[in-house]
Amino acid sequence: MEELRYVLVFGLFHSVTYMVFSLGFSLVFGVARLPNLSYGALYVLTGYLVYVLANQLGVPFYAAVSASLLATAAVSLAVGEIAIRPVLRFPVSVFVTTMAIAYILEEFFRMQMGLKPVTLPYYPGTTTLFGIPVSNHWLLVTGVCLLMLLALLAFLFKTNTGKAVRAVAESWEESMRLGINPLRVLRAALLVSGLYAALTSILLTPLKALTPSAGWVPLFAAFAIVVMGGLGNVLGTVVASLAYGFAEQLVVYTLGGGIARVVPLVLIVLVLVLRPHGFFGRGE
Amino acid sequence: MAFAKPARLKKVKRLLPALVAVAVYAALPALGLRGYWLDVLTRANIFLLITLSLDLYSGTTLYLNLGIPFTVGTAAYALAILNGFYGVPVEYGILPAVLVSVALSFAIFLPSLRVRGAYFSILSLLLPIIAAGLVTSQPISLYLGGEGGISFSPLLFSYARTLPLRERVPFLQSSHFYISVAAAALALAIAYKVAYSDFGFMMRSIGQDELLAEASGIDTLRVKLLGFIVSSSLAAFAGALYAAMRPPVTSEVFIPANTLVPPLTAMILGGMGTILGPVAANYLTLIVYEALWDVLGRWRSVLYMALLILLVLLKPQGVIYHSYLKMKRSILFRISGARGG
Repeated sequence: MEELRYVLVFGLFHSVTYMVFSLGFSLVFGVARLPNLSYGALYVLTGYLVYVLANQLGVPFYAAVSASLLATAAVSLAVGEIAIRPVLRFPVSVFVTTMAIAYILEEFFRMQMGLKPVTLPYYPGTTTLFGIPVSNHWLLVTGVCLLMLLALLAFLFKTNTGKAVRAVAESWEESMRLGINPLRVLRAALLVSGLYAALTSILLTPLKALTPSAGWVPLFAAFAIVVMGGLGNVLGTVVASLAYGFAEQLVVYTLGGGIARVVPLVLIVLVLVLRPHGFFGRGE
Repeated sequence: MAFAKPARLKKVKRLLPALVAVAVYAALPALGLRGYWLDVLTRANIFLLITLSLDLYSGTTLYLNLGIPFTVGTAAYALAILNGFYGVPVEYGILPAVLVSVALSFAIFLPSLRVRGAYFSILSLLLPIIAAGLVTSQPISLYLGGEGGISFSPLLFSYARTLPLRERVPFLQSSHFYISVAAAALALAIAYKVAYSDFGFMMRSIGQDELLAEASGIDTLRVKLLGFIVSSSLAAFAGALYAAMRPPVTSEVFIPANTLVPPLTAMILGGMGTILGPVAANYLTLIVYEALWDVLGRWRSVLYMALLILLVLLKPQGVIYHSYLKMKRSILFRISGARGG
């Protein structure tokens, strides 16, 4: 029974982080209709930036965090300009370009930082939740993630830019007829998506070791969640990330962390076989 | 019937320069090439199979299969398991390993081949990365040797052991080179035949417009499945051969930077779907890559990926095949122009 409690508590914690991470991923996926495979590398980039600035160059922690957030958002924009915008008409190419950028970053991290895992300082103390000792940092993470969800909802439904993002995700041509510039919207989506990858990294790196290739697992988790929830569907993404987080933790506690790597694959294959447009997506 | 002979002769005549080139290339060890560069060429020959596999399927149907390392890697691991756990000699393990790998890849890719769009590519990239994680983490790593991989004695080693000590390594190097040349030539013949057959044009029609292809009576799903099997067989064969020649088998075979990016670059540099372009590009890029080691060290792989991005952005139709066509055309034009004048 104790395992079940662990699964429930840590499943919830992991779900909210996956939720925020995959929302950022699905923003660009929805607008460009193409996945940004370098999204995981952005996650790794932020962690290393904060580590280098704060631990090696002695910059104050919060200054390092802000600088890294801005830098990652800028890199996300640059990825869009170099690897996504020029090849929007050639879907095959975007896989090559964004994957190549991800591997350039990964190889760069490997050369500069080595393979030794890196962590960041975490919020101290523990709290007992349902009889399970939980690091206070997880509570902080959950709080910030829920705030980020609210902020994204406010952005998408209350601001003009956010409404434009939804319009472009709905139909590129139709939104152009309404006077929206889809390329500007794509930039906005890239900026927000970069910020979300960066924030997730800052929140999660203290709990999970950061290595040069650490970005792939969350990237595929995000992809699995977006496939399950339906592209461009916020509610679907929230529900799918809950399902994903609990399923993953269940496998971790029963079969071990190694086997848990198969979870995104199994879920994607299941969705593709049962509901190719996602459990909440509409048929095309 | 009377015309059959001259036609065949003409075909042989046309193929003659290519056959001579292959023969000279295959005779390189006999001409005195030894050591490191012979190994490099052996590897280039094996990578040719992967390049052809990628070009034959993704270059024509434009379904980008980023999961090639999965097929390559499962074949390598299947061979290692057959040898290490069941004592099957490496020489006999290659074919079963290819079959296992193709069957496994097919079973996993099947659901994503049914849907169009981004799913196939991203699912295909997911596979090798998961596989690399699985074989290096518990509990599977306990059986498969984790980071150290599975070690066994290489192809033809049982024969090499009967030779005097000094001749063993040169024998293995040159025999592996000959085998890889034979495999590469066979694969090239198969890929060329398939790519320019009716079946190959059906695959191209899927790449152009899948709905239109379906509307004109092509069973697109069947073409995709068959094409996938032919292409995976080439990649699996490459994986099994590579493992047989270069033990131990480690998770490195699953890493896309090792077994996907070089063939992908060759395919795009050579010109997608043209078979001959990627073949030339395969040798060019791999030899240049090795030569760059002294100059650039580890930065060479970053340079490789940067080249890949630049190519996709500036010359998505490839460079080598098209400049070859241009050159051929201008030579023919000059000859005919000279005759006309």
